[in-house]
Amino acid sequence: MFMHLFSYRLKCLARDREVVFWTLIFPLILATMFYFAFDQLMGRQETFSPVRAAVVASDAYRQNIAFRQALGAISEPGEGQLIELTVTDDEREALRLLEDGAVAGVITVGDSVGLTVGQSGIEQSILKAVLDEYSHRYATVTGILRESPAIAGELIRELGQRRSYTKQISFSSAEPDTALNFFYALIAMTCLYGGFWGLRNTTDMQADLSPQGARRSAAPTHKLGVVLYDLAAALTISLAEVMVLLAYLMLVLRVSFGNESWYVLLTSLVGCIAGVSLGAFIGTYVRKSEGAKTGILIGTSMTMSFLAGLMIDTMKDMIARKAPVLSYINPAALITDAFYSLYIFESHRRFFLNIGLLLLISSSMCILSFLRLRRDRYASL
Amino acid sequence: MQVFRAYFKVMRASAGTIAIYVAIFLGLSVAFSLAEAPQESAGFAQTRTSIAVINRDGDAPLAQGLAGYLADTSTVVPYPDDPEKLQDALFFRNVEYIAIIPAGFSADFASGRDCAVQKVIVPGSISSRYVDMRIDKYLSTARLRRQYGGDQSEEQLVAAVGADLAQETPVAVLPSSATNGAAQGFVFYYRYFAYAVLATIMMGVSSIMMAFNKPDLLRRNLCAPIPARSRSLQLAAGHTVFALGCWSVLVLFSFVLYGRSLLSSGLVWLYCLNTLAFTVVSASIGFLIGGSVKSVGAQAGAVNVIANGMSFMCGVFVPQSILSKQVLDFGRFLPAYWYVRANDAISALYRPIASALRPIYGDMLIQLGFAAAIFATALLLAKERQAE
Repeated sequence: MFMHLFSYRLKCLARDREVVFWTLIFPLILATMFYFAFDQLMGRQETFSPVRAAVVASDAYRQNIAFRQALGAISEPGEGQLIELTVTDDEREALRLLEDGAVAGVITVGDSVGLTVGQSGIEQSILKAVLDEYSHRYATVTGILRESPAIAGELIRELGQRRSYTKQISFSSAEPDTALNFFYALIAMTCLYGGFWGLRNTTDMQADLSPQGARRSAAPTHKLGVVLYDLAAALTISLAEVMVLLAYLMLVLRVSFGNESWYVLLTSLVGCIAGVSLGAFIGTYVRKSEGAKTGILIGTSMTMSFLAGLMIDTMKDMIARKAPVLSYINPAALITDAFYSLYIFESHRRFFLNIGLLLLISSSMCILSFLRLRRDRYASL
Repeated sequence: MQVFRAYFKVMRASAGTIAIYVAIFLGLSVAFSLAEAPQESAGFAQTRTSIAVINRDGDAPLAQGLAGYLADTSTVVPYPDDPEKLQDALFFRNVEYIAIIPAGFSADFASGRDCAVQKVIVPGSISSRYVDMRIDKYLSTARLRRQYGGDQSEEQLVAAVGADLAQETPVAVLPSSATNGAAQGFVFYYRYFAYAVLATIMMGVSSIMMAFNKPDLLRRNLCAPIPARSRSLQLAAGHTVFALGCWSVLVLFSFVLYGRSLLSSGLVWLYCLNTLAFTVVSASIGFLIGGSVKSVGAQAGAVNVIANGMSFMCGVFVPQSILSKQVLDFGRFLPAYWYVRANDAISALYRPIASALRPIYGDMLIQLGFAAAIFATALLLAKERQAE
């Protein structure tokens, strides 16, 4: 009996091409787009290119040997090059370069060192930091020499020595790669789109919504059996779709999920259960047209995915800090966070918390929708 | 005018879907503009890296001084000393640098032993070098002051270092560009504009065309006493009114959100021209879809794939400067690429001078070229269908 109902239900669902498009093809297309868009962000190192600046060769500049040496040291091509320097004869020429966007800032030397820029930005800030460093050094050296002028030679030798006072450590072996969250949220969206199958099930089961529902309500099969077999079919097809997406992400796009494939599978399964239950829940409790139900399902799953970071990478963390309750009741955030915890943490404490909450939410939605279906009695079919 | 009136009756049916696209876009824009810190002053604002400072060295003056200096020069986001929370913070770039001052650091530093501030960073990032520079500067100044500054207490030392590092290079900002700059909110607004206008207009225009292209309806209309030319012109007028309506709602909203800074940039008319060019492109794509798809499901699929696809590949969602060269080379064959390119060029203008404007006009013309080509294709398809 199970095999019969199950396999026909499966065929029935798989032939709904439109839903297959939204639950399988659309996520695959989005994954490809994410991949191309974040190609540059993923796993690659940010590169630093020297900031272009102009300096006005005034008399004061020519006479200030220490400053010229300092500028020379950081504009020398090579590993430590911070700025790319253009020397101009007068200020007008330098300002023209600035207006044309050929340089980010103009360095002027008069009684003190100054900077002219067109706007605020990281390049301009680096220029300012470089100039600040010079004046800070200058202040330190003159301050010390004022008190003990005899040590000038020693001090200058000491200045030449540069030491690094920072040491890099890391909390885990996983690199913090923001782009990953987009893919995790995409899987969450796909899992929740499994709700389309759950929704379809409830339509085909309720006698007042579809002719199939009327026929099936009249059949002598036990309602709980029908509900469970339909659920199994919806779950199978939804999980198969997520597997295709996962395979595509892992094997073709090479998105990293950590090294624990079984846990990844477990997350997908639990995610699909949550999706199908969400669909079933909406299908039984929303008493509106099919279009309205589909709209509500898309709206809910999209809002959940949005809050889990499908569109903005920092959204999930922002919610977790500003409105933590939301991230414990949002299935998409739980799925995303489960993948994230697998990737980044060594321990599985947070992972299982996510899975547990997901199961809790799914089972309450399932029980509620069964309670509703169970009480359905029809005066006439 | 029957056709023109019927146009807006049909439009009412799909108004809900279109309103959703507009509402989502406007909602996100409001969220973005609220999240953005108000930039009132026209002066220079130094970029501040967001960092977390974990001081395990307690009340030691040097550790306090260093933490204070970092707080002055960066944006310190308060985090507890909890690896899990800190990892979250770094992953989501709430902070780009975590500096941990280890216990006993000040004592080690004072006695000249090897010591270092521990850092957790995004490997190779630019901003981390910026923070490294500051920590090195603070501690090397402290070392010089300790070695050569004579007898002094820890507090005096920290005060002397603080005084040395208080020097600031004066920065002047060109007056003509005081309100400009890529960081302005409306620059983002007008970049995302492309997605909103594309999705809404494609949805609207294609819905209408699908309705008017239904075989039975088309046949009935063909034998109606209204000349084909008049019917087409009325439809075209409907498309124009609808497209201009969407465009003006979105433009008006940009004034509501960014009115003053947008007007004082003196570039409004350029943004308007560019968006107008892209509006024409969107209408042409909607026209093509309306003539090619049969079911509402296929229409929703096409609209979503095209709107998202173009936005991702052409730099609407992710800036063009971050996209790889291969993606950009591909994007060149799509109209949104030229829209974003023109938009970026407009936002980078200090002043609208002729030599800088020419390439921007070029980008707009290319968009119009795309629109013409797409319209021509759609008309060709319509002709063939009629022949069947």
